[in-house]
Amino acid sequence: MLKKRLVGVVTVKDGWAVQSFGYRRYLPLGKPECLVENLDRWGADEILVQVIDRSVIDGAPDFELLKKIARLGLGTPLIYGGGISTVEDGVKVVQSGADRLSVDALLHDDLSVVMGLSDRLGAQAVIASMPMAMGAHGPEWFNYRSKQTIPIGEALAEAIVQGVVSEVLLTDWLHEGYPTGFDSSLIDLFPFKKVPLITFGGISTSEQMKRLFAYPNVAAVSVGNFLSYREHAIQQFKNELASAALRPATYATDFWLPADV
Amino acid sequence: MKIITIGIIDYGMGNHASVAHSLRELGFRVRISKEPAQLDLVDALVLPGVGAFPAAMGALYERGLVAYLQEQARLQRPLIGICLGMQLLASASYEHEYTVGLDLIPGEIVPFADHGGHIGWNTLECTQNDPLLISSDGLAFYFNHSFHYQGPVEYQVAVTRHPSEFASVIRRGSVIGLQFHPEKSQAAGKALLKQLILGLANA
Repeated sequence: MLKKRLVGVVTVKDGWAVQSFGYRRYLPLGKPECLVENLDRWGADEILVQVIDRSVIDGAPDFELLKKIARLGLGTPLIYGGGISTVEDGVKVVQSGADRLSVDALLHDDLSVVMGLSDRLGAQAVIASMPMAMGAHGPEWFNYRSKQTIPIGEALAEAIVQGVVSEVLLTDWLHEGYPTGFDSSLIDLFPFKKVPLITFGGISTSEQMKRLFAYPNVAAVSVGNFLSYREHAIQQFKNELASAALRPATYATDFWLPADV
Repeated sequence: MKIITIGIIDYGMGNHASVAHSLRELGFRVRISKEPAQLDLVDALVLPGVGAFPAAMGALYERGLVAYLQEQARLQRPLIGICLGMQLLASASYEHEYTVGLDLIPGEIVPFADHGGHIGWNTLECTQNDPLLISSDGLAFYFNHSFHYQGPVEYQVAVTRHPSEFASVIRRGSVIGLQFHPEKSQAAGKALLKQLILGLANA
């Protein structure tokens, strides 16, 4: 049976890993590659690195960071987001060590490139990153560059329904960084019921994760800030969840013994 | 003790660095090349891949590697296909358009019944008593694909459920295909890679 995933998120701004609060306040954590290394060692099911300032400054993907991460020799699948604006960018990001891509600004700017990425790399490699928050009439899609909420257009809706992307990263941007802040009515009212969701933003306890994993369309729960408060946070969350729907906690060692093989 | 050298086939599709890093960490020597003369010198070949089947076959043809890989299989040199690399070992694929594959393992690559993807960690169930795989029976590995192998049961060494069974490991002699990414499957993936390579290279 396909397991649900606990994804570790590293948010990067100005070259530093940061804690992000509601898409407006940031606290530095350290070198992104150090956090990625920890998540790999702790047995995260996937690691998402999102470089949040690349599309704001019209920059390319952060290949320098990808190079540093590649040197770690991760044993964990890597999702990269930030600054992907062409199919060639996406291909190069994969060749630089990412297994999947997350696109956000591109959903606003040029859907044909998203389709091109899907054709070239396969839909399984492409994730639509959609910051949402509950508005007066239901979930509203947030453009993080213009800081405006906008309706989901017909073309994007069609692309999601047609499977151009494999999953949607549904971020509760308003409650991002705030303990137990994630508003699960975003899932209840999300318009595309068949697309698997990766939930993110204000997810901080195993009880909350348990409730989110219970949704059939939630394929993964992702955690960022709240992994930074304790060692081996991934294993601890997994042990607290103790669910057959999840891969059990794993523990890495660099100490080799002949008995291993 | 002889150090085993692995040749990673460089045909411009996907991420060779992760595979190379895993293999080096396991103590193997690695060469990444598209040159048959270089690949002739290694003990086992690895065909990785991320992307779409037609583009990948096109890339192999462009580099003159189709005939080379078929010849290596005939010579019974160990060849391991990973993810898209596994699918390329089959006779043909229906991804985008009908495309003929390397035809090293009879069977076709077809979409999942719901036309969705299979992304994440899932378990292997060995269907044959293959000594190279049996220690991985029941362990979870990382998958990331939308198409899968469909072919004779005799070539299916392990299956995975999503929710129906599909072949996650196929084998014909010294040619093995892994639908998942062992290089991204943490300790379970590394152990399986090591077992496979030692078993094939020392056979």
